[in-house]
Amino acid sequence: MECRVLSIQSHVVRGYVGNKSASFPLQVLGFEVDSINSVQFSNHTGYSHWKGQVLTADELHVLYEGIKLNKVHQYDYVLTGYTRDTSFLEMVVDIIQELKRANPNLVYVCDPVLGDHGSMYVPQNLYPVYKNKVVPVADIITPNQFEAELLTGKNITTEKDAVEVMDLLHAMGPDTVVITSSDLPSRLGDRFLVSLGSQRKVRPDGSRTTQRVRMEVHKVDAVFVGTGDLFAAMLLAWTHHYPDDLKMACEKTFSVMHHVIQRTISYAHELAGPGRRPSPPQLELRMVQSKADIEDPAIFLKSFFCPPINTSTRRALVLKRISPRRQSACDRITRDLCLVSGAPACSIHPKVI
Amino acid sequence: MECRVLSIQSHVVRGYVGNKSATFPLQVLGFEVDSINSVQFSNHTGYAHWKGQVLTAEELNVLYEGIKLNQVNRYDYILTGYSRDSSFLETVVDIIQELKKANPSLVYVCDPVMGDHGAMYVPEYLLPVYRDKVVPLADILTPNQFEAELLTGRKITTEEDALEVMDLLHKLGPETVVLTSTDLPSKRGDQFLVALGSQNIVKADGTKTSQKICMDMPKVDAVFVGTGDLFAAMLLAWTHHHPKDLKAACEKTASVMHHVIRRTMTYANEMAGPGKRPSPAQLELRMVQSKADIENPAVVLEARVL
Repeated sequence: MECRVLSIQSHVVRGYVGNKSASFPLQVLGFEVDSINSVQFSNHTGYSHWKGQVLTADELHVLYEGIKLNKVHQYDYVLTGYTRDTSFLEMVVDIIQELKRANPNLVYVCDPVLGDHGSMYVPQNLYPVYKNKVVPVADIITPNQFEAELLTGKNITTEKDAVEVMDLLHAMGPDTVVITSSDLPSRLGDRFLVSLGSQRKVRPDGSRTTQRVRMEVHKVDAVFVGTGDLFAAMLLAWTHHYPDDLKMACEKTFSVMHHVIQRTISYAHELAGPGRRPSPPQLELRMVQSKADIEDPAIFLKSFFCPPINTSTRRALVLKRISPRRQSACDRITRDLCLVSGAPACSIHPKVI
Repeated sequence: MECRVLSIQSHVVRGYVGNKSATFPLQVLGFEVDSINSVQFSNHTGYAHWKGQVLTAEELNVLYEGIKLNQVNRYDYILTGYSRDSSFLETVVDIIQELKKANPSLVYVCDPVMGDHGAMYVPEYLLPVYRDKVVPLADILTPNQFEAELLTGRKITTEEDALEVMDLLHKLGPETVVLTSTDLPSKRGDQFLVALGSQNIVKADGTKTSQKICMDMPKVDAVFVGTGDLFAAMLLAWTHHHPKDLKAACEKTASVMHHVIRRTMTYANEMAGPGKRPSPAQLELRMVQSKADIENPAVVLEARVL
C-alpha cells in the first residue's frame, strides 16, 4: 500500500494528542505519514502545567515551500485537527487547495475542533474560517454535536434533526460526515451515547445515494484527551480500506477507540489506586500497548442502518428463521436481525422474542 | 514492558532522520517515546532544498521545565544524535544530569555525530563539548571511526588500534561502545566493512573486564541518511533486552539495519528505473514497510567475540 498522509497537528513531548496521537497508528497501518507540527508543547493543556512554542502561519508556509521545492508535495490524504490561530488555519486552506490541484484525488479529513457541550474552546473568530473556507474543501469531517450545530446553525434534538444537519454539512462540501458524539438518547440506556454517520455517493448509473449509520457507543467515566485525534486518524485509515462502506469503516474505527480506551482506563485506575481519580498523566492513551488492536481491531460494537424497521416486521423475520436450532444459527439470526432491523445486538435474543 | 525514552533529535516533515527515524521503531517495540524536536525541517539536508526552523537552547529548557513542573521527568533512557549548536548541546547535558539525579539507573545512549570519512560536518567547537561534557555522561556510545579518533586523539589503522581506542572511550565514560563503521579491511573481502563493539562487564569473581566483538557488515552502494539514527535507537532497544550480551544486541541491531536497508535499496532502484541513481527522496528508509523486521529481526549477521 503506497499511501501518503500530510498531517498538520500539534506535537507534545509527552503523551498522545495531535500528531502524537495520529502518527503511530497510521504508520502501524502502513501509511506514510508526513507531519507538520503546528506547536511543540511539553504535554497537553489538561495537565497542571504546560510550556512550549507555536508555529506561525509564515513558518508553516516555509516548511511547505521546502516540500514543494523538492517536488514531493504529492499527498493522498491531508489530516488536520485542533488549531487556535485563524491565519494558520487560512494558510492550511491555501496549502490544501494547492495540494488538491497537484492531486485531484486527495482526500481531506478534517476534525473541525471548535468546542463541546455547548461552548467554544477555541477563539470565536475561527468559526467563520471553518464554515466558509475549511469545511468546503473537506471530504470527511468529524464534528461532535456542538460543532455540527454551530456549523449549520441548526439544533439537534432528534435523530431526524441529526440526519438533516448531516445533509446540510454535505451541502457545504464533505461527502462523508461523522457526528462523533451526541446527546441523543441511546436505545441501550444512559450508559451509551449515540454517534451518527452519513456518506453521500454517486452510483454507477449516476444517481445519488446516501448511506446513514448509527452507533451506540459505551460511555466512559473519564476525561480523555487525544481521542478525537485518534478517531479522525483511524477514520481516515478505515474509510481508505472501505471507501464505499461507511458502516464498516465506522465499526472498525469505533472498535479501535473502544480497545484503546478500555486499556487506558484499566491502566489509569491501576496507577491511581482504589477510590482515586486518575490524573492527566495517568490517563494518557495506552497507544504503543494497543498496537495489535490498532492493526486488527476486533469489532466491538455494531452499527445500524437508519431508520430502523418496525416491530412486527422484526418478529416476522425471527419466526421465519428460527430453524435450524443450533447455536451458530441463532447467532446468525441475531446478526442478520441487527443488520436489517437497526435494533442493538445485545437486546435481541430469539428466546425473548 | 514499562520503559520510557526521552529522545532529543531533529524532526523532518518528510522522511526518516532524527526523531522520525528513532520514534516509530522504538514505539513498535513497545517503548514509550517522549520526543523533543531540536529542529523542524521540511526534509533532511541531503535533498536539493530544505527549509525550516531550529529550537534554541532556551526553548529546549522551557519544554523541559514543562515536563518537570508536572513531575513527569522520570526516564529510563535518553537518546541524542545530530546537533549543530554548542549551547543547545550544553543544555542537553544539564538536562541529562538532572534526569540522572531523578533516576540513577537512567541509560544515556549517545551518537556523538561530528563527521565521517576524515571530515567534520558539524562546527569544530562541538568537539570539546562532546569530549569533555557529553561523552562522560554517556552509557552507550555509537561513534564511527572518525568520531572515535577525534574523541580520543588516536588514529585507527589496525584492529588492535580499534580495541585500544574503545578502551580509551570507556575511560571517558561509557560502559558500552560500538564503532559503527571503520576502514579496517574485512576478512570477508572488500564488499564488507568492519564494525566493532566493547562492553565493560564484571565477572562472577568480581573482576572487571570487557567483552569485545567484531562484525563484518555488507557495504551498500548508496548514501543513506538516517541510518545512524535508526542504529542508535535499535541498539538502545536491543541492549535493553540483552543488557549483558553485546554480541546478541549487536546482531539484532545490525540485522534490523540490513533488512531496512535492503528493502529501501530495492524500492529506490525500482523508483529510479534501470541505470539511474536514486534521488534522496527515493532513498528515504522504508520504515513503516519494515515493521515486521523491526519487531522481530531475523538475525542475518553474526558477531565474533574477540
